[in-house]
Amino acid sequence: MKLLKPTWVNHNGKPIFSVDIHPDGTKFATGGQGQDSGKVVIWNMSPVLQEDDEKDENIPKMLCQMDNHLACVNCVRWSNSGMYLASGGDDKLIMVWKRATYIGPSTVFGSSGKLANVEQWRCVSILRSHSGDVMDVAWSPHDAWLASCSVDNTVVIWNAVKFPEILATLRGHSGLVKGLTWDPVGKYIASQADDRSLKVWRTLDWQLETSITKPFDEKFNPKIFKKKQKNGSSAKPSCPYCCCAVGSKDRSLSVWLTCLKRPLVVIHELFDKSIMDISWTLNGLGILVCSMDGSVAFLDFSQDELGDPLSEEEKSRIHQSTYGKSLAIMTEAQLSTAVIENPEMLKYQRRQQQQQLDQKSASARETSSATSVAGVVNGESLEDIRKNLLKKQVETRTADGRRRITPLCIAQLDTGDFSTAFFNSIPLSGSLAGTMLSSHNNPQLLPLDSSTPNSFGTSKPSTEPVATAGARPAGDTVSKDSVNATSTPAASSPSVLTTPSKIEPMKAFDSRFTERSKATPGAPALTSVTPTTMERLKEQNLVKELRPRDLLESSSDSDEKVPVAKPSSLSKRKLELEVETVEKKKKGRPRKESRLMPVSLSVQSPAALTAEKDAVCLSVPAPALKLPMPGPQRAFTLQVSSDPSMYIEVENEVTAVGGVKLSRLKCNREGKEWETVLTSRILTAAGSCDVVCVACEKRMLSVFSACGRRLLPPILLPSPISTLHCTGFYVMALTAAATLSVWDVHRQVVVVKEESLHSILAGSDMTVSQILLTQHGIPVMNLSDGKAYCFNPSLSTWNLVSDKQDSLAQCADFRSSLPPQDAMLCSGPLAIVQGRASTSGRQAARLFSVPHVVQQETTLAYLENQVAAALTLQSSHEYRHWLLLYARYLVNEGSTEEGAVEGATAGHRAESPLSAPLHRVSGAARYSEGQVACLGLPWLQQGQDHTLATDNAQDHLSPRQATEGRGDTGRRWAVLRQHRPSSLGRLPLFPGPVASSEEGSSADNSSLPSGPLCRAGAGALPCCPGVSEALPGLASPARSRGGH
Amino acid sequence: MAKVSVLNVAVLENPSPFHSPFRFEISFECSEDLADDLEWKIIYVGSAESEEFDQILDSVLVGPVPAGRHMFVFQADAPNPSLIPETDAVGVTVVLITCTYHGQEFIRVGYYVNNEYPSPELRESPPPKPDFSQLQRNILASNPRVTRFHINWDNNMDSLEAIENQDPALGCGLPLSCAPVKGLGLPGCIPGLVPENSMDCI
Repeated sequence: MKLLKPTWVNHNGKPIFSVDIHPDGTKFATGGQGQDSGKVVIWNMSPVLQEDDEKDENIPKMLCQMDNHLACVNCVRWSNSGMYLASGGDDKLIMVWKRATYIGPSTVFGSSGKLANVEQWRCVSILRSHSGDVMDVAWSPHDAWLASCSVDNTVVIWNAVKFPEILATLRGHSGLVKGLTWDPVGKYIASQADDRSLKVWRTLDWQLETSITKPFDEKFNPKIFKKKQKNGSSAKPSCPYCCCAVGSKDRSLSVWLTCLKRPLVVIHELFDKSIMDISWTLNGLGILVCSMDGSVAFLDFSQDELGDPLSEEEKSRIHQSTYGKSLAIMTEAQLSTAVIENPEMLKYQRRQQQQQLDQKSASARETSSATSVAGVVNGESLEDIRKNLLKKQVETRTADGRRRITPLCIAQLDTGDFSTAFFNSIPLSGSLAGTMLSSHNNPQLLPLDSSTPNSFGTSKPSTEPVATAGARPAGDTVSKDSVNATSTPAASSPSVLTTPSKIEPMKAFDSRFTERSKATPGAPALTSVTPTTMERLKEQNLVKELRPRDLLESSSDSDEKVPVAKPSSLSKRKLELEVETVEKKKKGRPRKESRLMPVSLSVQSPAALTAEKDAVCLSVPAPALKLPMPGPQRAFTLQVSSDPSMYIEVENEVTAVGGVKLSRLKCNREGKEWETVLTSRILTAAGSCDVVCVACEKRMLSVFSACGRRLLPPILLPSPISTLHCTGFYVMALTAAATLSVWDVHRQVVVVKEESLHSILAGSDMTVSQILLTQHGIPVMNLSDGKAYCFNPSLSTWNLVSDKQDSLAQCADFRSSLPPQDAMLCSGPLAIVQGRASTSGRQAARLFSVPHVVQQETTLAYLENQVAAALTLQSSHEYRHWLLLYARYLVNEGSTEEGAVEGATAGHRAESPLSAPLHRVSGAARYSEGQVACLGLPWLQQGQDHTLATDNAQDHLSPRQATEGRGDTGRRWAVLRQHRPSSLGRLPLFPGPVASSEEGSSADNSSLPSGPLCRAGAGALPCCPGVSEALPGLASPARSRGGH
Repeated sequence: MAKVSVLNVAVLENPSPFHSPFRFEISFECSEDLADDLEWKIIYVGSAESEEFDQILDSVLVGPVPAGRHMFVFQADAPNPSLIPETDAVGVTVVLITCTYHGQEFIRVGYYVNNEYPSPELRESPPPKPDFSQLQRNILASNPRVTRFHINWDNNMDSLEAIENQDPALGCGLPLSCAPVKGLGLPGCIPGLVPENSMDCI
């Protein structure tokens, strides 16, 4: 027996009262208490069953959660068909849920969870009749009835075919009815109540058959809380026996076999609180147990322990001998030929026919409404609708003169299923917006192993090396690596081409924001596939749904785009096979500053390489390193940016002109579309708001402007493309031969010329887990060993900018110098590469008692590294952030030793004497305590004055104020001196006048030959809007001290 | 269960000058046909200090609402600057969108609004009296704070019982004095229901 407690199954610590496994075994539901309501959650089963799936970030764990119950949910039960889920709760309601297949993943608007619902389950019926809490619900065999029981002492039988019709209300219990169960054929229903009786009711006339009270009179163990029996019988020797699990209030769980006198197993202390519900798995060998303590446990037995289960036929034979022939024990096939023995069966047959009719008409309705929606969409995309909504919407005045708006209906509600596919904003027609990715696969894709969908799932099939053509041995590892890689490094990094990162500055307004700042998971679902393909895919376990993906929440008008594959596109495109991967993502407005494009790719080991056969011929002798190449796809779509909305659509070999097959490239930018044709197949595409480039077969790279003008004749690459990237006017091409080139197509200059990755990849099985191209055209490679290098074009060197194993980072503790809202400062390439700052430094101090001096040294060294890395990455925000942090640290530590700050100045002010350009002064200029020079950089936001220095005497902080400031808040003030670094060498140490001189700025000025005095932190705010935005934590004390 | 759930609120034309109208594109879903109209309101919080300065910018009826997904644009004029305390003109405040059915508020969407001078000069040395014509309004659209309240959708007393014990989700309310105040009954409100809406009474 194996025991597992999947901790991720929880209701945020709230009690879970019920658990039920879906009849097909792929999912299970839990019901219990939510935040301020009842909560029903549907979970994926496979992560419970398989460890691999649990670890796979792409497999969603939670499928859907419903907060609709007003009060705690006491029970959840799947119908036998698995089509419906019934839930009953303290709000006296029973809700019946059905999966809405037409709606893509979505989040709840404004929800803090940000977890997308991978599946959409919506309430199709609310059953109101009980006058007290609903304790249990049970579906009859064949789902003809739904029974519910309540603390109002009644059992209600609902017509499950025609909700909310009540067939009968069974009265007779004198206490609250706690549990219900049907016999396996649906002839009887048993209810168990607090009056210590169990009553059995006939389903024929809903009268009481018998009431069993005897065994309960004395022997009933009040501790036995919930009993659930399933798994029919297991025939081991000759005599079939039942297996039964009992959970109890004393927190123990026991599993009994009716052939044994003692329990098979008793488990104590499994939970902190009582066991509430138990559910058996499909094969009868596993049970899920939930507890009041809010956790769920899974027990997995082997067949040796429980015995071999009887087959369905054997079971029904036993049932038949016990209950007589009844409809429930017959399979569909038997039913048509069976002799009708009782009126029930006749009724059933009629009902079946009726249901078939219903289904037909329902499907007819669905198709009709689908077409009607498609009509709307085709005639006018939702984007268009939105644009004109204000003008078009009907507004009238009511009799009393009030405005009344008639809302525009964008989707019909059809028996709980939405027949429409779109949600907030995406037009579905040929011009697909959003992040829809459609990969049209070649037939030979099918025999591929299960890794393939993973790579589809990674939302960038166009750029990622998808193992397409033919099954290659290395394909498996390649895609897996890349999938893992995308999800592991720096959880905050947007792993998608399309969604650049941005951290809302206002996030820090409330600490709650920071907690949820990054998670906007999208979850694609595989939707439309031709039936035969679907089956085959399923067999190979190819149909996997992508785990919600963490994306940085980013936009100011954050629309949730839910593009969904449109079924009709099948016929339209006349593709033999089609797999559409649909992904929902939160669209974001790309922040100009930190527009980065991470992708993932991996490097195959040479061994794998040799085994690989690729259709694309290599013109360059194969080097030791070889990066995976994108295989040709029939078509794909790529979103370039969300604001302005821009996406690229590629269709290969669409038209044949005189025997030559042409490929089409379409680009849609805010509704304006251009297209062009190319003569060879397009392998991968990339784009930014300024350029669109596509790499074709035969090593051709074509670059177009965002408006569709061809900027260059095709570039011949030295070897086939592996990854293509665009940021601004920069185009980066990583070839299969592991060489990297970056061009500035605007100025038509090369930034990085065929630089080999050998130096950073050589010697080991490292892979590139992430690539960034900063807005300044600096490529950054994140490797699987946790190191990240950027290429410095001016020095032609690879510079190490981040190392996860860096012992400096692990020891550095500069928390005390962090501004309160640090999170928002750290957006930029460095933050993406390094991930969230860990608290390890702080812990290190506690863990192995580092001498303070040592920690100081490491912290200083670390901060200096960070400053240098930010500088090399030309990330102005981060440079400022780290520099200020460094300065603050120096002041805080009040180090007698010499602190070092790299001061770089730039000609930000014509009248300023400090006009040395950055690159000439970027050497080390060292300053003594508390004296820091800090300055603008040429590539800081143009037109903005970022200097911390000022000539304005009002802004000067007198030393006295500084001292008081220290006393008041404990925050020390740094007096930053701006200084012209005389050379790249060290500056002489200045006497520290920070808090010593009586007279303020004049004294300081006199002691310093050049450069005005200014204050850092709060003092610098008035003259530095950039910093004031960035450092609100400093801003507030400054304001509060305003009257001082 | 709420019959109406808001799917999305898109903030249009943001940021914009202080005097330009607010525009929200609201999409919502209705699970059953509604007998009556929904009433939407935009409330501008003039000062974090007191509800006294709240302004109801506009209120519209939306209907008829059959089952399905719907959208509309709610446009309302900018707040009256003369009603805003001078000290609160520049800085962060809140705008609320509320929706009521039968006089009961069931959803409240709050946004932080930052009013500031776009020009660095004004930012550095703001005029002593706020210059509203220069102010820019920036709604933090990515961070709606949504508070949902359980209300009685059916107008029958049976289900009312089930609801009255429900505490509205105050926990996630807005920090800036926007927490609903209990006990202020609105005319037309069913007794026993808490009309978690203090703004409306001003």
